[in-house]
Amino acid sequence: MKYVFDLETSARALRLNRFLHSLTVASKRKLFLERPEEAMQGLSETEKDMVRHLDWKALQDYGASFFCLEKLARTKGVSNPEMVAAFRGEGLEEFLKTRRVPGAR
Amino acid sequence: MAKIIGGIGTSHVPTIGIAFDKGRQNDPDWKPLFRGYEPVAKWLAERKPDVLFFCFNDHATTFFFDHYPTFALGVSEEYRIADEGLGPRPIPSLKGHAPLARHIARSLVDDEFDLTIFQDLPLDHGLHSPLTMMWPTKPDWPAKVVPLVVNVLQHPLPTPRRCFKLGQFLRKAIESYPEDLKVAIVGTGGLSHQMIGERAGFNNEKWDLEFLELIDRDPERLARMPLEDYMRLGGNEGAEVIMWLIMRGALAPGARKIHQSYYLPMTTAMAVALFE
Repeated sequence: MKYVFDLETSARALRLNRFLHSLTVASKRKLFLERPEEAMQGLSETEKDMVRHLDWKALQDYGASFFCLEKLARTKGVSNPEMVAAFRGEGLEEFLKTRRVPGAR
Repeated sequence: MAKIIGGIGTSHVPTIGIAFDKGRQNDPDWKPLFRGYEPVAKWLAERKPDVLFFCFNDHATTFFFDHYPTFALGVSEEYRIADEGLGPRPIPSLKGHAPLARHIARSLVDDEFDLTIFQDLPLDHGLHSPLTMMWPTKPDWPAKVVPLVVNVLQHPLPTPRRCFKLGQFLRKAIESYPEDLKVAIVGTGGLSHQMIGERAGFNNEKWDLEFLELIDRDPERLARMPLEDYMRLGGNEGAEVIMWLIMRGALAPGARKIHQSYYLPMTTAMAVALFE
């Protein structure tokens, strides 16, 4: 099975997921939106770069939990269909064409 | 004695809660979803359970991977609404039935289900995105909840068989509670969806409808299926429907499905089913 969030993935990406999870706290979101570099201090350069560019596919492949990525997406005003489209290597409009009710989002 | 009066299986997609909060009841894109929940809301309003026992998962909101329980039972009097990145939803805090929850904890641990026990933690959309479709929020919630949080995020997950068995012992736990209470069991999750990888956006309506049939007529067969089959048929994230098996296991074997609705607008198949 591919893309199973197992204990190896969880251990590998714990620091990144902890940062993403911290965005459930309003003060952490505010800091990240106003001074992102300060908010990301604990991350490696690779991790920071993926977050800076909202590179959803790279973040996923690195081991970010989808449910932790949702916290970053909400903070940055990105919808789940946009993230799902990125994982598929598509744009949002292209992805919505494959859906039964594109307006239901 | 406490009595289980029925069960509900329901999706817990976050957009269900958002559609409710934005008042999309008559929006053509959302109307079929709201219509599907009406018979369930009516049943709850008529049967008036004192407690809804909710089997759901947290979405790395309240629980994080530094300490991730397989089965965690809430035993508080109250649960705040969690902040998932947009601030908490504008709905009242949930009221917990702490004495029943503590009794269930003691009974299940006595029957060798070694649960994690939590209190005073906020709960996320896994519980309240379907709840606002079924219960009024004003002036306040009509009754209480007992939350059971299940790990369906970080593998290894509990097996389908384990979930079904937990439901069977949950029935024993609830029915040995001395107070006369009416309890309904809610199993949440699914149906088919995959959010990640090249297969992101995957759905399987054929399997979903088969699952809705089997959960009614042959839950033992679902309990025998390996988790890998759920992931292959319903998507990696769709395997969370194993939480419906806890609900089904807690119902009398002769319980029957009396309502079902299925709607697949975007990435996750949204279903609700009522059992009595």
